Amino acid sequence: MGIKISNDSFFERVDKGIKNDFMRQAVSSAQDRLEGRKSAITEEMGDWEDWRELSEEIRQHTLENLDYYLNQFAENVAKQGGHVHFAETPEEANEYITNVAKQKNAKKILKAKSMVSEEIGMNEALEKAGCEVIESDLGEWILQLDDHDPPSHIVVPALHKNKEQIRETFHVKRGYEDTAEPERLAKFAREQLRTEFMQADIGITGCNFAVAESGAISLVTNEGNARLATTIPKTTIAVMGMERIVPTWEELDVLVTMLCRSAVGQKLTSYITGLTPSPGGEGDGPEDFHVVIIDNGRSKILGTKYQSALQCIRCAACINVCPVYRHVGGHSYGSIYPGPIGAVLTPLLEGYDDHKELPYASSLCAACTDACPVKIPLHELLIEHRKDIVEKEKLGTFTEKVMMQGFGYGTSHPSFFKMGGKQVPFLMNIVAEGKDGGGIGPGPIKLWTEIRNLPNSKGDTFRKWFKKRKGGARDGNRDDQRER
Amino acid sequence: MKVSLFITCIGDVVYSSRVGRSVVEVLERAGCEVVFPEKQTCCGQPAFNSGYHKEAKKAAKHFIRTFEHAEAVVAPSGSCAGMVKEYPHLLVDEPSWHDRARKLADKTYEFTQFLVDVLNITDIGAYFPKRVTYHTSCHMTRIMKVTEPPVKLLENVEGITFDTLPYKEQCCGFGGTFSVKMLAISEQMVDDKVKHIVDTKAEVLVGSDLGCLMNIGGRLERLGIDVEVMHIAEVLNQRQETGESVGN
Amino acid sequence: METGTISGKDKFLKRLSNRMGREEAPASVTLPAWSKRPQDKVLEGASQDELVDVLIAHSRAIHTDVVTSTSQDLEKFLQEAVSELGGGPIVCTRDERFSSFGLGNYLKQEEKNGSLHIWEEGSREDNFKIAEKANIGITFSDVTLAESGTVVLFRQEGIGRSVSLLPENYIAIIPKSTLVPRMTQAAKIIRDNQKNGQMPSCINFISGPSNSADIELRLVVGVHGPVKVIYIVVEDA
Repeated sequence: MGIKISNDSFFERVDKGIKNDFMRQAVSSAQDRLEGRKSAITEEMGDWEDWRELSEEIRQHTLENLDYYLNQFAENVAKQGGHVHFAETPEEANEYITNVAKQKNAKKILKAKSMVSEEIGMNEALEKAGCEVIESDLGEWILQLDDHDPPSHIVVPALHKNKEQIRETFHVKRGYEDTAEPERLAKFAREQLRTEFMQADIGITGCNFAVAESGAISLVTNEGNARLATTIPKTTIAVMGMERIVPTWEELDVLVTMLCRSAVGQKLTSYITGLTPSPGGEGDGPEDFHVVIIDNGRSKILGTKYQSALQCIRCAACINVCPVYRHVGGHSYGSIYPGPIGAVLTPLLEGYDDHKELPYASSLCAACTDACPVKIPLHELLIEHRKDIVEKEKLGTFTEKVMMQGFGYGTSHPSFFKMGGKQVPFLMNIVAEGKDGGGIGPGPIKLWTEIRNLPNSKGDTFRKWFKKRKGGARDGNRDDQRER
Repeated sequence: MKVSLFITCIGDVVYSSRVGRSVVEVLERAGCEVVFPEKQTCCGQPAFNSGYHKEAKKAAKHFIRTFEHAEAVVAPSGSCAGMVKEYPHLLVDEPSWHDRARKLADKTYEFTQFLVDVLNITDIGAYFPKRVTYHTSCHMTRIMKVTEPPVKLLENVEGITFDTLPYKEQCCGFGGTFSVKMLAISEQMVDDKVKHIVDTKAEVLVGSDLGCLMNIGGRLERLGIDVEVMHIAEVLNQRQETGESVGN
Repeated sequence: METGTISGKDKFLKRLSNRMGREEAPASVTLPAWSKRPQDKVLEGASQDELVDVLIAHSRAIHTDVVTSTSQDLEKFLQEAVSELGGGPIVCTRDERFSSFGLGNYLKQEEKNGSLHIWEEGSREDNFKIAEKANIGITFSDVTLAESGTVVLFRQEGIGRSVSLLPENYIAIIPKSTLVPRMTQAAKIIRDNQKNGQMPSCINFISGPSNSADIELRLVVGVHGPVKVIYIVVEDA
């Protein structure tokens, strides 16, 4: 699938999102539930801020020594008989993975949820190589059955669908005849997928965190599909973004704690599995263990002002509190990574060409920054993007530039500033060009008043009032003053 | 205590003298001497948030020159005061400015924060027999970390009925340039906010950030919804004697 | 065991090192002393009995029944749990603790009845068939986390991954001495074992039944793994 999920323009996508009543209802109630559960469980801890600081320190330390820890991890995997491949590009990663599939003569591949596999378009590559790829995460399976509808949330991928829609998909694609009750739907999925699992040649999983010291990968899930994918097939391939690593099990403890609480408000998810290569002959589990470590643009972020974006543990806490996401939904972001982290990450991985609106799709309310368990300053990174868009990429429009330069002059020259005029609020003069995103669109005031009134500003400006008052009422008040 | 008032762009022009005079009068009632540095302009936030940091730096330096000798700087908008807190970060590459910025940031306060945390006043002797709800602005809460002061002050207003706004932590959709650049999204956000305000059955929506108030107020009026919008200083400036603002 | 391989590493890591302003990865890195350690304070100093209480309370929240038992009563409680879950077929791990906790006879008898199978390494296909048909899987817990209601299973000889995964229901026997406050202590145990050359190929942290909230965020208990889970906490010395 790749990172980009749509060819529509940003504003077309937003328009579609806003008009999709069901999706909006689903998203807002999901946000309320997820955020409610997270707040409850973090408040109960009492020292959430300490946990956040610790987690930030761990992530920062790991990123600063990423070359060291990746090397240590790879050596430790190989020492135990596993195979590690480092891939700079999606093509390199897919080539390795399809080669493993060919060697194993694999027909059927069972996949657990993995964002990075979406990122590199792995399913398509494997299908081209003649394999059948089956998503085993319930949400991903629903999307796959529904003609590869893109995910709209990184933890709950089919968040934008209701149970009737899901029932319909099951009915059309798999002949399901039962009701739309989630229990029934899930039971049906269990039965269907269990059969598939039993025949799978390879299990492919993501990797929540690799453990450098142990040469282990960890998988954090609730459904049990990642366990199945690493129990039944003879071959396991884990695909991981290169930053998803911790030094030892002790740091894994902290980050898994943060991930489970932030993502779904659980103390621990139902299953957390730590895997190292097995010597084989264990009666189940993989006899062949591969890890593919993927860069795909991440190294360009290392060593820059955006490095903290790599601290991300993919919990979606920022998405669950974002008021913009609430109204436009995941597909509006045009990326498999939606919400605040998506708006930060997508342009870094893919460039500004298709994604230059994303950094502006935020009111900078900072709810994301506050929610982040590893303290990524998300809204500040969005401002950094805006800065690069105008200063480095020169993508700011002419009108905006003229206004901002005028602003710079005006704010440092008080006499000029005052002339900003009182009927036209100065601030309104400053705001950007039209919503069509290019050329000289309608003026900001016109846009403002499309949906709102301007305050009725009869009478003097404050400056004038204050000046007039001097020597008048104020002196009269002086006696009342309590000295402090 | 001598207070240098930073009135902010919206406070100066958009709301005429309505908000500013209440701020001055309440501060005076609290025993402060209020001065207004004439040369003040804008904090630079619109440029900063839009990525025009060269221009934002010009505004910041002018602001520093204008206010750095103040005993305390008080602004009736959490967001603008918050911008001053950004200055040290903005000017990090210019050591001498960075240092001046840091000193200034340390003595810059949002209005209610100044009353409660600096002057230790939680009851200013106001009287306002109306049903109100309060909009917690994002920057004030998350950047300035000011959450308790406005609530404490409002709870101590005599005669007031105070209801917590549902979803109070959610942004109203202002976001400066966001409000026009992402008009369609901003509209959805402010409509949500309006809905929650209406749900409280409040007669008055109170806030501590003029940008948010301009946004919510403008939308309420456009939709013909009869909820008055007031800055917290205006509420605190209502007295029992007349029910009107004092001073003039 | 196959010999491990690493490919594509040098160029990849060199690029990273360069991005970080160095020629190559540092030869060694020492873990810093973290400024905060909130994880150590969770249930700090709690007694085993207090930990049991916490375990029971949280297990309830994750749809898992807990019974506590003396070692004498264990067989009786296990039988009750088995019948509560609808009886055999049962699959259990090949674990010495079954006999040391006095369950040897029970196992033998059930095996004789044909309603219990004890895991063995043998053929994968047979193992899957047996485990999948089993109504109940039974294992011991190696480490038990009170805070999250979690049993931790280390894979060792005789301890198949499938036993706690493929059957419709799952019973974990929890020796009381395995209770620790939270994952922090388990992580330490894993690291210590590793230093002694014991790194299991699979470590499972299991907290209740499998579940999903992928449809309208409504919690469905029992998706790919067991639908119902019972913990039996047993007194041990």
